[in-house]
Amino acid sequence: MKKLIVSRRSSQIFFLSLFIYILWSTAYPLQGIIRPNIIFKMDPLVTLFTALSERVIIPGIALSIAMLAAALIAGRIFCGWVCPLGSLIDGAGALRGKIRALPDGANAAFRKVKYIILGIIAAGACVGIQLAWILDPVGLAARFVSLNLIPAATMLTSGFFIFVIKTFRLYGPFYDFYRSLESTVLGVKVYYFSHAAAIFLFFIVVVLSSLFVARLWCRFVCPLGGLYALSARRPFLKRTLGECTSCGICKSRCRMGAIRDDMSYVPGECILCMDCIYDCPERVTRFAWGGPGPKPSTGRDRMSRRQFLFLLGSALVMSGFKRGEPGRVRNVIRPPGALAENDFVDRCVRCGNCMKVCPTNVIQPVLLQAGLRGVWTPALIPEIGYCEYNCTLCGDICPTGAIRRLPVPVKQATKIGVARVDKGRCIPWSSDNNCIVCEEQCPVPDKAIKLFEESAGGRRKFKPYVDDGLCIGCGTCQNKCPVRPVRAIRVKPL
Amino acid sequence: MGIDKTVHRFYNSTMLRSFFKKQFSRRRFLRMGIVGGAAFLLSQNFLLKKAFAEAPKTGGRPKKNIKGAYDLVVANGQDPYQNTVKAIDAMGGMEKFVARGSTVVVKPNMAWDRSSEYGANTDPRVVAAIVGMCYKAGAKRVNVFDNPCNDAKRVYVNTGIAKAAKDAGAYVYFVDEWNTVKATFSYKSPMEGWPVYRDAVVCDTFINVPVLKHHSLTGLTLSMKNLMGICAGNRGLMHVGIHEKLVDITDYISPELTVIDATRILTRNGPVGGNLDDVVQVNKVIVATDPTLADTYAAVLANKSPLDIPYIAHAIRRGFGSADLKGAKMHTIAL
Repeated sequence: MKKLIVSRRSSQIFFLSLFIYILWSTAYPLQGIIRPNIIFKMDPLVTLFTALSERVIIPGIALSIAMLAAALIAGRIFCGWVCPLGSLIDGAGALRGKIRALPDGANAAFRKVKYIILGIIAAGACVGIQLAWILDPVGLAARFVSLNLIPAATMLTSGFFIFVIKTFRLYGPFYDFYRSLESTVLGVKVYYFSHAAAIFLFFIVVVLSSLFVARLWCRFVCPLGGLYALSARRPFLKRTLGECTSCGICKSRCRMGAIRDDMSYVPGECILCMDCIYDCPERVTRFAWGGPGPKPSTGRDRMSRRQFLFLLGSALVMSGFKRGEPGRVRNVIRPPGALAENDFVDRCVRCGNCMKVCPTNVIQPVLLQAGLRGVWTPALIPEIGYCEYNCTLCGDICPTGAIRRLPVPVKQATKIGVARVDKGRCIPWSSDNNCIVCEEQCPVPDKAIKLFEESAGGRRKFKPYVDDGLCIGCGTCQNKCPVRPVRAIRVKPL
Repeated sequence: MGIDKTVHRFYNSTMLRSFFKKQFSRRRFLRMGIVGGAAFLLSQNFLLKKAFAEAPKTGGRPKKNIKGAYDLVVANGQDPYQNTVKAIDAMGGMEKFVARGSTVVVKPNMAWDRSSEYGANTDPRVVAAIVGMCYKAGAKRVNVFDNPCNDAKRVYVNTGIAKAAKDAGAYVYFVDEWNTVKATFSYKSPMEGWPVYRDAVVCDTFINVPVLKHHSLTGLTLSMKNLMGICAGNRGLMHVGIHEKLVDITDYISPELTVIDATRILTRNGPVGGNLDDVVQVNKVIVATDPTLADTYAAVLANKSPLDIPYIAHAIRRGFGSADLKGAKMHTIAL
């Protein structure tokens, strides 16, 4: 009985399920036991580097420091036992079957890539650019779960039920059961996210890379792994060998390539998967507290001068991306409470929490509409939804404060844009009919959309116009406008 | 170390190699593609046809023309729950309208993410009273739903109606955009073919429970306007020629009972409101079997000329129901 492997796998399944549960419960009325922003506050990569690049103390940063301290003691236990992306990668790796070992030289060379990536992120953070989100494994997994997995699962489940109900005309208790699912597990609507396919593609490439080399991402690319590896250079929990016969079986099966030709190991690479304990035919491999220190690293493990210069050069290149003028104009509508555009783009870690939690699905990832640095930042697309007047959920769960947490009355007075009537399309302005849907739906108590009343031929006509002082840009009018394909009232970002 | 050697090792360690090394004859490949593709297309077509099947066309609900003890009953009192109970009792009791073992739809105005004191939605106590009376009259099942304008989950919770109705035993659920029928009329109607939620049509008794409030296009939101909540599709377009559409949909549903909640009147900035200064406490519940009569009385109560409300004016023109307040048998209860 491989007790430790069973524990490790249980832990991986538990934390992956917890991760999915937390993100699933990221919906109105936020009844989950754990807030989703905790996930990212536990992620030292995004939390520390966002704090550094933005020169702020993010509340809950202590959690990240605690995680790094844990790695100082027990090594990269997060990677092997907790990380949701790691678990998915292990799951995909199981499809591949046998692990093939790379030679020491290749291992040593490739594993440095993640330190270079980490170095670039650190250099960026020093000059005020937050790059940590791009390759952050937790954010990668969270985007997949929130924007791909949960919507797809909802769609398939609903589709199945709708199909069965309609085909077999089961409008009785079976339909009631589906309705109870709708109000509990599934949610009322199927979410749609623009270019979810691009998000999925990025994710699936990372996961399937483990079919080529076991845990390729974790070994060579993952900057969070690199950060943990740096703290895990001399952990207290160490791998020790008894009477080793140097058979090399553990090395050939190590998924992280952490075991060298001479059977010594690189603690920063070991994720404590515990495979080598059971792979060892002599049963002499143990993990124990204390014990002799690891073998000092050879020259090949260290960073070469050339690599250091490359790092320095990339940092110089990056300083060219330094923030522009502080008053950069927005060309997308940001969620209420979002920081000024430049700060917002740098503070946002693209975790997708705000998109997942938004009850109307209006918050969407943008591709390039907000510039190259704004990829996958959240923006409001009023054709899809609108900003609920009494709702503050996106600010409540933003892990880095890119969207500030606003009390309801403040949020209700926060302008995110301003609506404009397109008189050429608007029904009352361009024809003889009445409409006023925009005015009716306007949630501002004193109505930011006013009506210009006209009487002609015994008929009253109401033509809408926007009171710029009252309009908060929530987009309800644009969303509800019945004119198609282009709405007759549209919100411009502020 | 040589990079080519590493690349070679990479290739050897991949699934790619084993995938390509397998015997894959051209015939096998083609056969697989044709069989798989045909199966996929067939299943798609079948599934799509099922999933997006045309909603069945359905004529309106049968008109039962049940008459109460009075044409119109108005109850005045502090407690909306008692107002409702007493007014319906004066009408002759719920037993008149709800048969034993029947399925009842109670359609409140549950459209906006506002709590009940803002007067934008029906008071939950009115809904709870009606649901309770239906069960007492022997209803098998009472359904409460609306197609809200704001996010359904928020609306159901924050109006307080979902909880009140559930506590009274009703089935409260969200409407499904796919569960509709297409309305057909025996006369020419702009609502011809409009999708209407199936549950609103397939029921034994329909009780319309609107709230009396301001609306800038129709002057007031009343019982006929409340029936927009059982319509699916691009509802904004119903505002074009709204008078005709509302009367036709009311004719289509022909509710057995109309209970107008006039506990408060939202006098300005409707139908959403949001300003407590715009809300006037009136403490009335209006019950009628004729929606036109109920709406006419409510319009007068809100200080509007009924003829200024386009759908009441159209109903009178069409001869749909009666707007004759003087000739109606009215009864007022003070609590």
